[in-house]
Amino acid sequence: MLTDLPWSVIALQLFFGLALGSIFVLLASGLSIIYGLLDIVNFAHGTFAMLGGYAVFVAVSLSENFFIGILSAIVIVGLIGVLIEFFLLKPLYRKDPLLPLLLTFGLSVAIPDLIKIIFGLIGKPVNYPQAFTGATVFGSLTLPNYRLFIIFFTLAILISLWLFLKKSDLGMIIRASTRDSLMVQVLGVNVSRIWTIGFAIGIGLAALAGAIAVPMMSATPDMGVDMTMIAFVVTVVGGLGSLGGAILGGLFIGLVVAITSFIAGEYATVSMYFCMAVILLIRPRGLFGEIGRE
Amino acid sequence: MKSLHDEEKVLKEIESKPRATIVLGTALVLLVLPFVISAPLATEILIWGIFGLGFNLLLGYTGVLSFGHAAYFGLGAYSAGMALRYWKASLWTSLLVAVTAAMLLACFIGALAIKRRGVYFAMISLAFGQMLYFLALSPLKHITRGEDGLTHIPIIKIFSVSLNRPQPLYYFVFVITIGMLYLTWRILQSPFGKLLQAFRENEERARACGFNTTLVKFFSLVLSAFYAGLAGALNTIYLGYVPLTTLFWLTSGTMVMMAILGGKGTFLGPLIGVGVFLFLQNTISVFTPRWEVFVGTIFVFIILLFPAGIMGTIRDKYSAYKTKKLRQEAPPLATRLE
Repeated sequence: MLTDLPWSVIALQLFFGLALGSIFVLLASGLSIIYGLLDIVNFAHGTFAMLGGYAVFVAVSLSENFFIGILSAIVIVGLIGVLIEFFLLKPLYRKDPLLPLLLTFGLSVAIPDLIKIIFGLIGKPVNYPQAFTGATVFGSLTLPNYRLFIIFFTLAILISLWLFLKKSDLGMIIRASTRDSLMVQVLGVNVSRIWTIGFAIGIGLAALAGAIAVPMMSATPDMGVDMTMIAFVVTVVGGLGSLGGAILGGLFIGLVVAITSFIAGEYATVSMYFCMAVILLIRPRGLFGEIGRE
Repeated sequence: MKSLHDEEKVLKEIESKPRATIVLGTALVLLVLPFVISAPLATEILIWGIFGLGFNLLLGYTGVLSFGHAAYFGLGAYSAGMALRYWKASLWTSLLVAVTAAMLLACFIGALAIKRRGVYFAMISLAFGQMLYFLALSPLKHITRGEDGLTHIPIIKIFSVSLNRPQPLYYFVFVITIGMLYLTWRILQSPFGKLLQAFRENEERARACGFNTTLVKFFSLVLSAFYAGLAGALNTIYLGYVPLTTLFWLTSGTMVMMAILGGKGTFLGPLIGVGVFLFLQNTISVFTPRWEVFVGTIFVFIILLFPAGIMGTIRDKYSAYKTKKLRQEAPPLATRLE
């Protein structure tokens, strides 16, 4: 049945998949950074993305500017991340490794309900930013501008993340702590502070993903769980703790979901779990996972 | 110099171990429970208690954290419901169908994921649980009835007593609960049960001793799914329909919270945790529909302050007291034991 379709329809679905995948990439890379650095699987990852979405909603309704919205989402949610890491997670390091996971799970139960109390049960819509409404025509393809923005914006974020990790001193320390935090501490670096920064960066990326997703789906209290699931599936497919895996896995899952929702809509959500099962069968540690980390 | 026999006796005294009387004592307490609290709430506590016993076997005694137990619970609930509704099956057949389905699913998920590290398994199990939820939500809508849940389940009779009245239903579930409690006690006394606990304490060492850790963890998962499937089927009989939420991630999460609250790795922990949790939930939801914010916050504080849970904290305090007392009685031996 796919062969009967004009190529432009298929290309459009691929484009949608790429845009969706970009959001997944941002989500999963945040999860991966946190896991790599702190050895914590953040069960509240999607919850922070949801908070990012609500931060955009509040900031946009106050300032009428989407970009101020994105910025405030990163700053506000990043700060919440710092507070949570400092007060709730720090006491749990060097205890049972499952405790931080359980703690973030508790947050993912409590926070959405708090949002329901503050903002109500019904989702909060955010308009597309003025600059990116409409569509651009490429030959026989009509591509919505906002999705083009998402793809290029994600690309820009990933490049700056890469430059930060590879070229800056702080990035180097973060990479070194991911490898061996004890050694870094011996060299006289305050690793505890590095962990806080790393956690804030990871949470900030989640908030960013939530923020740019909101104009397409409006912020709802329960979107967090779905986003946590997406982040988990992508990291399992790509390999836990690997940034390259998060990127490739995110794009792959994005394409799979977009194509499935086009040919068999009701299987769209199920398809990504199915992908995960297949990957687990043929390559248990994920596409880019390190041996011993699975 | 104390003899070896004495040392063993002292060890036994420090290490709290579920005794046979514990099953009997619990049975007596549960027998009068519906006279203290309402019978439906008591029934719910028993059903979740069975679920918890199995979950604790996996988390508390084997050390494997599953975040997808709603999959087994929900599959059990749906299989029993479908068997009753579509096949007009008998009570026992539907229970059998439910536990078989849950155990088969556990075999599948276990084969794919049980080898993975702890946190990885938690993520994967959660994802598979959500997969089942979304399957029931829309692609399988024609048999699961999607969001409405599976309704029109016939009323079940046992020895010509219909189970839609609270009291007979409670005592029916009560008998099964005591059976499962006794089974759990026997499992923990068996060599297999000892193996589970050996793995939780030190998996590498158990492997070095020549045990196949993966296989034993796999069996523990399947066994745990047996409890979950049974609890799910009982839940169907209790509610008279199958809500879609039985498969929802929050069902798994609730189980995790109950188990931690009660104290993982303690014999009565799951029952206590379930009881306290459901009582709290019932009390809070009288005042506000947003009980999750309270329960979630309480859970965060339990993780921070009492990670051993209610029974775990009591056990730790008790064994600390015992050790102290023994040190006063026989100083050299007690010091060596520390």
